[in-house]
Amino acid sequence: MNEQQTAHRIRQLLNRGLALDASKLNRLKVAREQALARQRVRAPVFVLAWADNLFGRLGGSATSLVPRMLLPMAVLILGLIAVNQWRDSQNAAEIEEIDAAVLTGDLPLDAYLDKGFDAWLKRSSH
Amino acid sequence: MERRAYKQALFAVRDSENALDIVQDTMLKLAEKYGAKPTAELPMLFQRILQNTIRDFYRRQKVRSLWVTLFSSLSSGRDDEESDPLETLVGADIKPPDGPAERLEQSQIIEFIENALQRLPARQRQAFLLRYWEEMDVAETAAVMGCSEGSVKTHCSRAAHALAAVLRAKGIEL
Repeated sequence: MNEQQTAHRIRQLLNRGLALDASKLNRLKVAREQALARQRVRAPVFVLAWADNLFGRLGGSATSLVPRMLLPMAVLILGLIAVNQWRDSQNAAEIEEIDAAVLTGDLPLDAYLDKGFDAWLKRSSH
Repeated sequence: MERRAYKQALFAVRDSENALDIVQDTMLKLAEKYGAKPTAELPMLFQRILQNTIRDFYRRQKVRSLWVTLFSSLSSGRDDEESDPLETLVGADIKPPDGPAERLEQSQIIEFIENALQRLPARQRQAFLLRYWEEMDVAETAAVMGCSEGSVKTHCSRAAHALAAVLRAKGIEL
């Protein structure tokens, strides 16, 4: 008897030995039901479902990844643009403030161009 | 399917409660992580998770037995799952064949085969059951076991020969 034949015969016998007592069968049944219940709970949850809920579906199939990726990407890009603009406006306000201080100060504007004054300013600040 | 899984776990861990726990864990993991996968992929994923869960059980047992060894002066000398093969199995079970008058009934033969499977080295048993009981092909079995196809063939061949030898030694004709 070769390997295949031995294995085939053993397989048949193992299959006949699959009868289990009621308590074990019940335990397996409960385990299967629990697993199925958990699968049902998890099934509708998609990774990017939140984007879909917020902005509605863009079209295409519900399970298609492209529309699901587009919305979060668009939100991210818009967010980055907004942050960039806010930083620009902050910089502009800062420059405006410095300009105003320079123009309204008692010190003549030429003093800032004078190297000697600049060197004195640095020395005195130390 | 879960009955075969239970038996596989039982052959590996030799305790029905632990085997039931392993099957339960496997089903939950499959449902949680791979519930959305196509149905055709599920049997193989199930087997992979089952084998991993059995391996995790072995690891936990090893840690536990390490502590037991540390706290007792007895060294139990548990056989290693990777340790060899044929000699242990054949050597442990060779008995003079029973006479024809004492032919075993089918249930006894099944029980004997199940016991012999339990005594096989883990990798051989795993390969044999996946390949011949779960009817996976060599490539699928190799994928589940995380080894080469050549190793699967070797494990299967050794397991089949070992089982045949034990059965022959017991006077059981398949």
